[in-house]
Amino acid sequence: MHIVICAKQVLDPEGVNGYALWGRLGVDESGRSFDTGGSTIPHIINAYDEQATEAALRIRDDAGEGNEGDVRITAIASGDPAAADVLKRCVAMGADSSVLVVDPEVAVADGFRTAKLLAAAIGELGDVDLVLCGRQGSDYDQGAVPAVLAELLGSPLVTLASDVRIDGNGDGAAVRVTRALPEGEELVSAPLPAVVSVSNELGQARYPSSRGMMAARRNPPAERAAADLLEGDDARVELMRLIVPDVQGHCEVIDGDSPEAKAQALMALLQGQGMFDE
Amino acid sequence: MSEPVLVILMPPGGDGLSNAAAEALGAGSRLAGLSDASLVCAVIGQDIAAATTEAAERGVDRVLAADEERFARPGGDLAVAAAAAAVEQSGARNVLLLGNADALELGPRLAARLDGASLMGVIDFSGSGDDLEVTAAVFGGAAHAAYRLSGPGPRVLGLAPAVAEAPEREAGRTADIEALTVPAVESRVTVEQAPSADEGPRLEDARVVVSGGRGLKDGDNYDRIRELAEALGGMPGASRAIVDDGWAPAPEQVGLTGKIVTPDLYIAAGISGASQHMAGCSNSRVIVAINTDPDAPIFNYAHYGIVDDCLEVLPELTRLGLELRAGR
Ligand SMILES: Cc1cc2nc3c(=O)[nH]c(=O)nc-3n(C[C@H](O)[C@H](O)[C@H](O)COP(=O)(O)OP(=O)(O)OC[C@H]3O[C@@H](n4cnc5c(N)ncnc54)[C@H](O)[C@@H]3O)c2cc1C
Repeated sequence: MHIVICAKQVLDPEGVNGYALWGRLGVDESGRSFDTGGSTIPHIINAYDEQATEAALRIRDDAGEGNEGDVRITAIASGDPAAADVLKRCVAMGADSSVLVVDPEVAVADGFRTAKLLAAAIGELGDVDLVLCGRQGSDYDQGAVPAVLAELLGSPLVTLASDVRIDGNGDGAAVRVTRALPEGEELVSAPLPAVVSVSNELGQARYPSSRGMMAARRNPPAERAAADLLEGDDARVELMRLIVPDVQGHCEVIDGDSPEAKAQALMALLQGQGMFDE
Repeated sequence: MSEPVLVILMPPGGDGLSNAAAEALGAGSRLAGLSDASLVCAVIGQDIAAATTEAAERGVDRVLAADEERFARPGGDLAVAAAAAAVEQSGARNVLLLGNADALELGPRLAARLDGASLMGVIDFSGSGDDLEVTAAVFGGAAHAAYRLSGPGPRVLGLAPAVAEAPEREAGRTADIEALTVPAVESRVTVEQAPSADEGPRLEDARVVVSGGRGLKDGDNYDRIRELAEALGGMPGASRAIVDDGWAPAPEQVGLTGKIVTPDLYIAAGISGASQHMAGCSNSRVIVAINTDPDAPIFNYAHYGIVDDCLEVLPELTRLGLELRAGR
């Protein structure tokens, strides 16, 4: 069983959020990057991809003691050279090896391009049974990569997984997935090879152990150049510019001597507006 | 006249259009207006006569209808095949989808299959033809981004909630209604157990939503949220932080990756107001925030604010709510 995890490096969304809410988020001259007045927002692994890694590791744990070798896990990322950090994280968590597709065009933010590069890298690996992705990047919130990847690989796609298991082996092997849908949980299965996207309902990803971190240092990603995997510049989605919307407060603060008094004033106000009329 | 704009709807059987679907027609008509194009709507489902009639009455020029049992709840491979057939039969270049959990899969797959491009979370568009610029929310809504989409195939746009108003309904208005032909598709994904068809009230339809966050301090205190929601005849909601912590069940999460609610009254207790949370509730008519921190971002969105401990404010609100009900 060979599992591939697709991981992305993102600008920490909590950081972007914080700067936006405190009114300190701007856009630089290129129009495509944020300006935070000298301080930097860290780059981190997309949390959903960390959970995809966790899903892969749980499959290996399920294989049972002594059988871990039957499940091989390769992490792949496309991005600038700094994206090697997210692959180190995946390896530190327990992935066996990793591949970095170095792409100078990351600023374009094109999931279609990313999916083509990842599909080519997966094609080179050859014997992949299961591709696990995060449900979406927590930066651009698109979720295009797993979907486009499934189309390019000709594999079935299952999105929004909260639990991923492998059933059977050999030709009859299938992936059984619990999906976290707005209307509740759905249980589905699909033949392998398949692409599955993982949602946060999967639960907390494990922390890398110090042994894992050491192993990751000795096991850097293999590098591939985007230009070698993808001919021509085939951009589909081009980021023209970022815009920071104005969130203007217009909040009326309810005064009172005690929490109870404030609650009473609020209820009276809402009632006066007919909020609770039948 | 340029290629038509296509809105793809997959409504549940029996009913007319949901608010979101009617609003998508509004967005479609605005997009069509930018390039003097006609508006086509594909309605894919089972028992969809009411929905096709309503689409016509809301100003669609042409309806492509696929009314078959296999489309009762189309997903995955079947939804992609039906949508692709609709794009081909309509000749559309710009395609709009309702931005829901299904669109997350359908949008990019449809675009990839037809060699086009897709964008989710769309809030605006401008220009026309090759110069069409599409704006989408990014970083959970903390920022927006303007994009250009290219490629030989269609541009598939998944709409963020409430980006357009529904067009007025003109009773008796008709449109060309044509059968949509979808080839036989073998679905590779087998549904073994569908979500339990829980016919209870939906958070999305609640007139009052009371949500709690980490400021509740302890999982047991989520009961204070449930109690107030019940007293006000509403439903409880939660931030993702407390869903992740196991204090509240996942279906009660409000936000970018949870439910999108538009109640008359949204009460947020002990919630900081991260953009990913606000993406799910900022279209509420009145937002009330209860937070100990006067600088909490939630006060940027709230209409009314109480700066105090929510664990003390909530029980009093509940008491007053119950009193109000008893007095009726
Ligand atoms: C890709 C992505 C998707 C996400 N999707 C969602 C989503 O769908 N929904 C969602 O909610 N979040 C989502 N998030 C998470 C979001 O960014 C925030 O982390 C989360 O909403 C914070 O939850 P919170 O407000 O409960 O907790 P916190 O941010 O910890 O805020 C707690 C608040 O409680 C206040 N407080 C403390 N004590 C009290 C008290 N006694 N009384 C009153 N107030 C008190 C504090 O001042 C603080 O403002 C997402 C994040 C990412 C990156």
